[in-house]
Amino acid sequence: MRALLIALALASPARAWRLFGEPSDGKVRPVQVLNDQGKPREVLAALTPQFIQTLRGTDLRQAYILLGDSHDRLGRADEAVSDYQLGVALFPNNVDLLVRQALLLHREGLDEQAKPLFLRAIAIEPRHGNAHQGLAEIDRTLGFLDRSATHYEVALAALDTNASLWRDYAEVLLSLREFKTADLALRRSLALEPKSPDAHVLLAFARRAQDDYAGALDDLDAAIGLGAGVGARRAKALFLLEAGKPEQAGAAADEVLKEAPGDGAALWVLARAALARGDVDAAVGDLRQVKAVEGRNAFAAQAAKALTAELLK
Amino acid sequence: MTRRLVLALSALLAALPAAAAPDLSADALLRDHLWREVRTASPDRRPKVGLVLSAGSLRGTAHVGVITVLENAGFPVDVVAGTSMGAVVGAMYAGGLTVNQLWENALAVKIDSGNDLSARRLISLVLFDSLLSSEKTELTVRKTIGGKTFDQMKKPFACVSMDVYTGEAIIFRDGDVATAVRASMNLPGIFAPLEYRHRYLVDGGVVDYIPVDAARLLGAEWTLASVTENDYTAVRPKSVLDSLEQVIDIRGSFLSREQRKQANYLIEPAVGTIGMFEDARIPEAIEKGVIAAARRLDGAEQSLILASLPKLAPAWQGGAK
Repeated sequence: MRALLIALALASPARAWRLFGEPSDGKVRPVQVLNDQGKPREVLAALTPQFIQTLRGTDLRQAYILLGDSHDRLGRADEAVSDYQLGVALFPNNVDLLVRQALLLHREGLDEQAKPLFLRAIAIEPRHGNAHQGLAEIDRTLGFLDRSATHYEVALAALDTNASLWRDYAEVLLSLREFKTADLALRRSLALEPKSPDAHVLLAFARRAQDDYAGALDDLDAAIGLGAGVGARRAKALFLLEAGKPEQAGAAADEVLKEAPGDGAALWVLARAALARGDVDAAVGDLRQVKAVEGRNAFAAQAAKALTAELLK
Repeated sequence: MTRRLVLALSALLAALPAAAAPDLSADALLRDHLWREVRTASPDRRPKVGLVLSAGSLRGTAHVGVITVLENAGFPVDVVAGTSMGAVVGAMYAGGLTVNQLWENALAVKIDSGNDLSARRLISLVLFDSLLSSEKTELTVRKTIGGKTFDQMKKPFACVSMDVYTGEAIIFRDGDVATAVRASMNLPGIFAPLEYRHRYLVDGGVVDYIPVDAARLLGAEWTLASVTENDYTAVRPKSVLDSLEQVIDIRGSFLSREQRKQANYLIEPAVGTIGMFEDARIPEAIEKGVIAAARRLDGAEQSLILASLPKLAPAWQGGAK
C-alpha cells in the first residue's frame, strides 16, 4: 500500500497532495496581512514570480487570489482576470477562484464568458450564494426572469442578510408581475436596511400594482424623506394621477419642475391635470414644452406630440 | 479567512452593474404609467393587437421565447396569425397552452416528430422521387390542442398556406385548425401537397412569410411580428434539402420585405444560422427568442402606447380620470 502511494506521488505530485490535503507553509500569511490593510501595491510588490515559485498548495492558491484582488483594486481588471485564469488553470475545482473570475468578467460585461464559470462553480458547490447571484443577474439582463428568480432564491438562502440582494430579487418579481411576493421580499430588505430609499420606492411600485395607492404614496413619501432624488417625486406625481387626484398630481409635478425644469413626465402630469379641468389650451401649452434633449425625454416628447395632435383635431 | 473571502466577494458583487437602483427617469416612469393604462384598458380603448409569427422551420421555435417575454410583461395579444412553424406555435398559443406548455412542446420537437422525416423516408424521397406526408404535423397539433375548430380557439387565430396550382395565399380562419396548420407547414418539394377544400396546399412561407395580412383580416389594428428568417450569408447548404429550404426561404424573404414594413413592430431573434434539421439547437432558438424580445420589449410597449393615445385621450378630458 505504501509503495502504491509513493508511486502515485512520484507519478503525479499535484494529485498526490489531494490524498493528504493541500499543503501550506504559511508563507503567504504576511502578504495576506498587507492585503487586509488595503495595500494592493505592496501586495503586488511582495508577490514576485520568484516568490510565487516557492509556494504550494493553499499558499499558491491564495497568492493568485491576492494578485487578482490587488490588480482589481488598482483598476487593472484585465490583469486581475489573467491572475484568476492562471489560478483556475492550476486549481480547476476551486470555487472561490472560479467565482472571482466569473464575477470580474460579469462586471466587465463579459457575461458569455462568466456564465460557464458560474455554472462550473455551482456544479461543485450547488448552493454557492455568490455564484447563484451572478447567474441571477446574467439571466435577468438577458430576459430569463423565471430562471433569474430561481437563482436569486438560492442565493438568498445563503446571503439572507444582504438587503440589496432582496431588492434585486424583488425587481425581478415585479417584472414577473408577482407583486405580493415582491412586496414580501422588499419588507425583508427594509427590515435589514430601514433607511433605504430604493427599497421604499420599489415597495411603492409593488403596492401600487396591488391597487394600494395610499400605501404606495406613503412609501414614496418615506423615500423622499430619506433623500430619494427627483425620481421619487416624479413617481408620486404620476401615482397621484393614476389614483384619480389630478389637482394633487399637478402640485407634485410643479415640485418636480422646480428641481428638473422641462421634465417630460411632470409636464405630462400637468397637461393631464389641465385636461381633467377641461382646459385643453393649457394642456396643449404644457405638452408643447416637452422637448427631447441630450437623450432625455425622447419618449415623453413623442407621447406629448401625439397627444397634442389628438387634442387639436 | 472564510469571512474575509465572503466580504471580498461581496465587495466585488457590490460593483456589479445589475444591482442598480430602479430607473426613475422621466421616460421610464412615463412609459410605465402609460403602459399600465394600456394594459388594463378595455379593448375598445386601445388598438386590437395582432401577434404575427413568421415561417422559418425549426428557427420558428424562437417564437416560443418571444411569447414568453410578452406574457411575462402582460402584453395584450388579441389575435394571432402564423405561417408554417409560426402556424404551429401560434395554434398552440391561441389554443390556450401556457408558456410552460409551449416550452415543453417546443423542446420535444424532433425533425421526425412533427413530420414524416425519418431517414428511411428521406432515402425514399431522394431515390424514388416519392414525396413525404405531413400528416404527423396535423396529429401533433390535434393531440396538443384537441380537435378544435377556429371558432373554438382561446384567441382568434389564422394561418396561411399556398395553393400550389394558382400560387394564391390561402388564409384559414374557419374549419379544423389542425388540418389548416398542416397545410401551412407543408414544405413543397418534400411533402406532398395537401388536398383540402378543393385546393392543393403547400407551405405558406413561399407566399406569406410574415402573415401581417392574416392578422389584419382578424381585425388587428396594431401588429407585432416575430420574424425568424434565415441568414443566407452565414449558411452554406450541405444537402439537396438544405438547398431547397434555402431557396424557398430566400424567395419568401424577398416577398416579405413589404410585410416587414406593414408590421408595426418587429422582433427578430438571431436564429439565422439554425438549419432545417438542427433540432438539437431548438433550446438555443427559444433562448434567442427570449433575448431578442427582452431587448425590444420597451420599444414595443412605447410603440403600442403611442398607437393607443387616440383611443385613450377622450376619457382624459373634462373631469375623467
